[in-house]
Amino acid sequence: MSRKRKAMVVQESVSCNLIPMVDIMFLLLLFFMLGADMTQREQADLVLPTASEIKENDKVKTEEPTTTVNIQHTDNGGGKCPINASGGYCRETDHWAIVIRGREIPRPVLKDQLKAEADEALEPDVDPAAGVRLSARKIIIRADRAAPYGDVNKIIEVAGQVGIYKIEVGAAVPPKG
Amino acid sequence: MAGSSMGEDENPVAINVTPLVDVIFCLCVFFMISFKFKQLEGKFDSWLPKGKGAAGSVQIEGILDEVRVAMFWDEVNQRTVRQLGTRRVDSDEELSDLIKEGHDAWVRMNKPDTPVTIDAEARVPWNDVITVMNLCKKNRIDKIEFALGAPPPPGSQ
Repeated sequence: MSRKRKAMVVQESVSCNLIPMVDIMFLLLLFFMLGADMTQREQADLVLPTASEIKENDKVKTEEPTTTVNIQHTDNGGGKCPINASGGYCRETDHWAIVIRGREIPRPVLKDQLKAEADEALEPDVDPAAGVRLSARKIIIRADRAAPYGDVNKIIEVAGQVGIYKIEVGAAVPPKG
Repeated sequence: MAGSSMGEDENPVAINVTPLVDVIFCLCVFFMISFKFKQLEGKFDSWLPKGKGAAGSVQIEGILDEVRVAMFWDEVNQRTVRQLGTRRVDSDEELSDLIKEGHDAWVRMNKPDTPVTIDAEARVPWNDVITVMNLCKKNRIDKIEFALGAPPPPGSQ
């Protein structure tokens, strides 16, 4: 009598259940997509000085014409600036750039650029104090914390000359604690 | 959701989720790398006087009604030197007290609109100028002026 029996072949399908992973990845994707800020071309990547008394930016964007002028360090002339890389105060004029909408504005043409910006949004009436139509455009100066004050000063001076009087200077809220 | 936990007998047409996972992985990596926690930003208003702009054409005569903070760049020590009048001020607390004292003195003389003028050398880091502005705002002084260089002589442009 044969005790041989056919061995039962049990085929166990071991498969990884991907559904929870897909769920979590969808959530992560959603988080990063919503958190990603792709609309900040006006704002250059720089380290702003901190100030505790600043007015925080309005959540609701106003329709007021605004130009953001960034002053940022660039490694012009080739090579990395060792002073800036080490966190020091680089005072080389050529290493600091005035940037509007991602485009570097050479200092000699800054006045022409701001004049063009100012003329795009003139106030409807002649200002009695100035005797001319001033610009309704607002300028936000976002300067790196190590930027030389002379560049900020220059922008304010030129803005005044072309009829822009609404000027704001950007700063960062200091970290709490 | 894609896929199914049902057995193959119940659902013979299974969706292959592997390409979907691959694509989501790629998107996730892209957004994770490009993600940056943004620092909360704000601003100080510093509107120019409408009548004068920043032409700097005001003729200065006599004693100025102002509290002037002078700032110089010390190239050797790589730091800013601050002076109020002839007094050198190192700490922020001391400078804040002196600005307040100076401004209060003008208020007592019925000149509450007396400004604090920041007269900084071009090489002074912007951070140090903002610090002085912040001290003024802390002391509820809203009228802050920046000293600009003298205008070019007429006909030079």
